[in-house]
Order: sequence, then structure tokens, then C-alpha cells
Amino acid sequence: MHIDEEILKKLEKLSHLRIDESKKEEVIGQLSEILEYVENLKELDTEHLDSFFSTLPGNTPVREDIPSNDPSIPKEILENAPQSEDDFFIVPAIIE
Amino acid sequence: MFETVIGLEVHVQLNTKSKIFCSCPTSFAEHQNKNTCPTCLGLPGALPVLNKEAVKKAMSFGYAVNATINKRSIFNRKSYFYPDSPKAYQISQFDIPIVENGELYIETPKHGTKRVGITRAHLEADAGKNIHDGAVSKVDLNRADTPLLEIVSEPDMRSSDEAVEYLKKLHSIVRYLDISDANMQEGSFRCDVNVSIRPKGSEEFGTRVEIKNINSFRFVKQAIEYEVERQIEAWEDGVYEDEVWQETRLFDVNKGITKSMRGKEDSADYRYFPDPDLRPVIVTDDMLEEAKHIPELPDEKVERYVNKLGIKRDDALVITAFKEMAYYFEDMIAGGAKAKTAVTWLTSELLGRLKKAGIDIQNSPIDATTLGKLTMRVDDGTISGKGGKEILDYMMENDARDIDTIIEELGLKQVSDDGAILAIIDEVLSANSDKVEEYKSGKDKLFGFFVGQVMKASKGSANPAKVNQLLKERLS
Ligand SMILES: [Zn+2]
Repeated sequence: MHIDEEILKKLEKLSHLRIDESKKEEVIGQLSEILEYVENLKELDTEHLDSFFSTLPGNTPVREDIPSNDPSIPKEILENAPQSEDDFFIVPAIIE
Repeated sequence: MFETVIGLEVHVQLNTKSKIFCSCPTSFAEHQNKNTCPTCLGLPGALPVLNKEAVKKAMSFGYAVNATINKRSIFNRKSYFYPDSPKAYQISQFDIPIVENGELYIETPKHGTKRVGITRAHLEADAGKNIHDGAVSKVDLNRADTPLLEIVSEPDMRSSDEAVEYLKKLHSIVRYLDISDANMQEGSFRCDVNVSIRPKGSEEFGTRVEIKNINSFRFVKQAIEYEVERQIEAWEDGVYEDEVWQETRLFDVNKGITKSMRGKEDSADYRYFPDPDLRPVIVTDDMLEEAKHIPELPDEKVERYVNKLGIKRDDALVITAFKEMAYYFEDMIAGGAKAKTAVTWLTSELLGRLKKAGIDIQNSPIDATTLGKLTMRVDDGTISGKGGKEILDYMMENDARDIDTIIEELGLKQVSDDGAILAIIDEVLSANSDKVEEYKSGKDKLFGFFVGQVMKASKGSANPAKVNQLLKERLS
């Protein structure tokens, strides 16, 4: 896959990041390098592997359905949020 | 002529006590962000641990709809950016869902019982809530990571009525299984509709339009009907390609129309990939066995009511539509009531009165044992049907519940004693000896007159069946 201005624009949109005009060429270069590296992985034969494939053995552990939480933790998180008010996280207005 | 093609996606909030990937409580209407922790707030380093009960409930649903339960399933990340999703992705099952290839049956006026396929049912995490407030939005993440079961149907429905029937059946099954409160107003049973049209006889599907988040059966019907009309009009005007494209629309409940969601021209790219924090879900035989324990479901109940209890199929369908009603009916039977009498007194007499008072069956002021006892007194002739209704009215207004005491107090006991009724009959017959002559010479119609006179003389307390029988004997 070849990275060009068009694709970079789409990636900016998907990732909610803005790349400064002066940095664009550099980022395109870096992304291309990463993709080339990933290309190497294509040499692996993955025909016989399914979506379950993992380098870790076994299944995901499960827990019993017992509720518990410490309300002081969300309080602390809220205090450290960029903006919070009346125990809500505050974000710029979203128009649906 | 066009054919409507409808598929439904229903998000059912599972009623586990804790969230799907952390131990935060799922309790409803709590103080904002109280039920949160580093995991459901998506803080770096916090790891999800799957709730076993959510898996079990999903599998129970699978068994209830004759589906395949995948012993191995996986969780994927579905990427999207929105403040109600602090991780910037939703954990959902994409490649391999836990439940696949199920079915349920609906009643249709034209085609009788119809099968609707269930493509899949998968586990996923719910998002939080945004409250829009002028220049800012306030985010409450109490609901974030609450377990959802998304149930996806095949595009098997052909009318808005069939879609509503499917939803009602699904709702009923979920309630019987007790895997969700399934409260549409509170959002624990949410529904997205996929609608397309095609010329009758065509095998090819038309362009599918999705209508999101409709929160009542009535609105589902309205939304589908509006959307079908819009699509047909576009086809007939030759602008189908321009006006109908694969998109998400919202239903405006006030105007009764569907509207395109603005700012979604770019179809979303969710970049699904297996969640590296969650290895595959592998269910053990023990878990499967446990999930198999499900209560009797509406279809089985209908069969049993019809075949074993001898009630009409239509009545059985009405009673089993809601589990509260079915359990009420079964409690009446367990108390000794006759099935047929119980059906009448439950579906027409009690329900009529509850409806008038705006009360649900689960909050009925008259319990199943009491109503059962009442029907038994009607069946054994202690009181007349009319007397029974009077008692029901009385109980709607009063706290007394002992049927036999109420019968005494209201003086509703029927006279069924042969001697007492015969005495009245003889009195009536001797006072009307001329009419007796007329009757005997062939004026059969007078029989009704005699019955009326006897009932009147007994002040309505005589058992009418007994009066009929004894009068016939006396006059023959
Ligand atoms: Zn949590």
C-alpha cells in the first residue's frame, strides 16, 4: 500500500489527529517505512490459522458475577480529568 | 408490486449484577460516574476480565432459540471515537460470535406460524451516556461496559406487522429466560431496523437502509411503514438510485418520519481486530450444562395448554405472551381452578378490570389463588357468573380476599338445594296454573316465562342450571 496525501487525510480523520502541514512529508515517510516492515510479515504462511490464533495458550479467564467498586476511585479520576463538573466528565459539545 | 424485506438487530442489556469486563455494579439510575473504575473508564494498563454470568446468559438464549453455541468465540475491538466510549473502541464479537444459526416462530394472520432465522447473537460492551448542555456535553460512564447481547435476525420479515411480532416474541423469550429486564423505555431492549424493498418475485435484495434506536413497538411499525413508502415512491419516480442508499436514518417520533443522519457521508471504518487483552472465550462442558437449564418457553407452554389443559390455541397465545400472565394462570390451576374457567376469568374479567384501572398483571390487587378460588365457586355452583363478577368488582375496591366470607357478606350464595328450589317452583306453578295448561298443550315458549318467575321469586339466588333441570322434571 502506498501512502499519499489522500490516505494521510483519511487517517487523520479516523484517528482524530491533525498532522501539521510542515510535518506531513516526514509522517508519510515514516508510515511508508512501517508498512514496508509489515509487508515482510506477508511472507508467513497463515493459510491454516483461524481467528483464534494467539501466541498465548489457553482461554480468557472468567470471573464470578459479584459486584464491587470503590467510589473514591472514580472521584479521584474525575479530579484528574482535563475538565469535570458535578461528577460528570466535560467534553466539547457534541452535535448528534 | 413491491415486497418489503426487514431484518432486525436488537440490543438486549443483560441483567448481570456486575459489568461485563469489570466488577462495577450495573445498578440503574445511580449518581453519575459512581459505577466506574479504571477498566470501564479505559485507563491505560487496566485489563478486562470476562463476567462468567454474561456468557451463561448468552448461551441460555442460544438454547432457547435452537441455535448453535460456539464453544470457542472471540472478542474484537471495534474502533470509533465518541466521548461515550472512553477506550475509543467497543469490545464486541465480530469474527466468531458465541451464538449462531438460531430461529424463532411468529404468528402471522396470512401464513400461520412463520419461522424467522436468527443469524447470530454476540456479546458486547455498552457505551456510556452523553448529556448535551449548551457549549459542552456532560459524560456519565455508569453504563459503559454493561453487558449487551446483540441479536441479529435474518432478513426474513415481509411487513411491519411481522417485524413487531418478531420483536414481541423475542422480548417475551428474553423475559421468560430472565436474562434482561427488557425495558424499552429504560433502554434495556433497543432495536435497529434494516429495511429494503424489491419488486415482487425478485430474488435480489434492494438497498438496505438502517433505522437506529427505536424505543417502542409502535414506533417500529411507524418507522418501517414510512421508510417503505419513501423507498417505493423513489422507485416509482425513477430516483431510487439517488434517494435510497445504504445509510443510517433516525426516526423522528413527533413527525413520524425517518431522517438521514447528517455528517455520516464517510462510511465508518471500524478496523475490527481481535482484542489482544482478551484471549478466546472457551466454554466448558459445565458452563454449557448450566446454561441449558432454561424455563419452559412460550411455544412449549402453548402446546401444553392446548394439549394437556384443553384450552383454545388463541387463548393460550394471549396467556403466554407475557410470562407474568402465564405464571398467574399456572398459579390459578395449581390452586385447583379448572383451566377453561380460569382462562375466561383471567383474560376477560380480570384483565378487563386491570386495563380499566391501568394496572399490569404483575401488580394485580387480586392474586392468582384468590381468583382461582372464585372460579372454583362459580364452577361448583355456589355462586353464579354474575355473582362472581360482583365479587371481582368488590375486591377491586376493597381489601377483603376471603372468597367464602365475601360470598356470605354480599349474600351471593346461590340456592342449589333441590328442596328449596322445588318449593319455589311449586309456588310459581300453582299461581300460574292457566299457563301450565297452555304449556302442556304445546306452547313450549312458556318455559322461559316459568324460569323467569322462579328466578324472580328466589330474588336471583336460585342456581339457574338447577332451576332449568327441576322445572323440566316438574313439567314433564
Ligand atoms: Zn468498572
